[in-house]
Amino acid sequence: MTGMNRPEARPGRGSGPDGGQADLAGLLAEVARGDHAAFEAVYRELSGPVYGVIRQVLRDPAQSEEVAQEVLLEIWRTASRFDPARGSAAAWAVTIAHRRAVDRVRSENACSQREVKAAAAATAADVADAVEASLEGQRVRRCLDGLTGLQRESIRLAYYSGYTYPQVARLLGVALGTVKTRIRDGLIRMRDCLGVTS
Amino acid sequence: MRLRRDDLHVLTGSYALDALPDAECEEFERHLRRCTSCDAEVRGLRETAARLAMAAAVQPPAELQLRVLSAAGRIRQLPPPDGDARRRVPRLRTRRPRHGRLGWPPRLAATVAAAAVAAAASLGVAQVITQRQLASARASQAAIVAVLTAPDARIQAMRTSVGGTVTAVVSARQHAAVLTAAGLPPPPSDRVYQVWVMHGTGARSEGLFSRAGRNGPLLASGLRPGDRIGITVEPAGGTARPTTPPVVVMPLAA
Repeated sequence: MTGMNRPEARPGRGSGPDGGQADLAGLLAEVARGDHAAFEAVYRELSGPVYGVIRQVLRDPAQSEEVAQEVLLEIWRTASRFDPARGSAAAWAVTIAHRRAVDRVRSENACSQREVKAAAAATAADVADAVEASLEGQRVRRCLDGLTGLQRESIRLAYYSGYTYPQVARLLGVALGTVKTRIRDGLIRMRDCLGVTS
Repeated sequence: MRLRRDDLHVLTGSYALDALPDAECEEFERHLRRCTSCDAEVRGLRETAARLAMAAAVQPPAELQLRVLSAAGRIRQLPPPDGDARRRVPRLRTRRPRHGRLGWPPRLAATVAAAAVAAAASLGVAQVITQRQLASARASQAAIVAVLTAPDARIQAMRTSVGGTVTAVVSARQHAAVLTAAGLPPPPSDRVYQVWVMHGTGARSEGLFSRAGRNGPLLASGLRPGDRIGITVEPAGGTARPTTPPVVVMPLAA
């Protein structure tokens, strides 16, 4: 597997995002051909990350389940559009999930910006708990700990809470340009720390 | 206001996290089509964002799986994109045996039957599935499908005392339920989870949940008002009647 030369050693397949990455791409190709058993295997691999990331953003379990169902069926419907040359199957799937969650939260929150601050405070603590729990979580956590405070908070608020970077800038009380830069610098540092290759 | 090129490049991170406001997102995507270094960076950062998602993975409720897998059978898939000769779809051999050439129709029946066949195979129960076994699997899966798609089907779930959740899709009209479980801890060695329909005077076995975490679907039929679903830990192979206290007893809402 590809993890051999990575800074953070990875356990066997199925335990991480790309533990079965080649496998997952192959399964998606079978799903594209209408293979229901392959789709069930894809469900097993991806339902946790898909549901988890949607929960992080939306918070509400019932709404998260509804969106997760939409996303998982979108994976079924659009499996033929997954292009392994453009990235991993896991990234393709959770990108769909995160975008769908963010779309939902932005359309609903457009008129309720006042709640933004309270939600952000709660989110940071909850995320820390959830992320601590798994092995993959511990690796990500260690890498997050290697960031500056501003990088870390910017990434958390943008990804786990689903805020736009101008909203993140307002929450953190820093300039727009600063947030854009910190998100990019921080993510690049995360990428290198996690040994992500693309 | 148009952003300068340097300003655009720094947006790779925010774009990868879906953190760009709509207007900037559109402008950045136009830029991305021309800027190969941005595109490469975005890909790496998207993979990084995916790791953030993996770290936050949470197992969804068990009934989501039933809903998603059964709904897939009713949704037409998109064809592959046109004129895309460069696209190479990897053909991987997985450990799962092939069943597609047997020509399952793309209906809900296929969803559940294929899932069950894959489950049996992945357990090593059947490395080679014969035509006859498939026919019999198909018959019992058809019964499962009938319950899952019954107009009066209702989902109920209950936590067990050892952890995990058992879920039942119940059709009162068909006097039947489809049972699955998720998150059950592995039973002690030489033990299995056995599923029972319990009634006033006793219990009848409805089958075993596997040791490999593939719990169901199991069909319980001939249900009567007041029946409950119970699960006990029993010696491998199962027993004629329960010998241990149930880890869960779920009344079925009639």
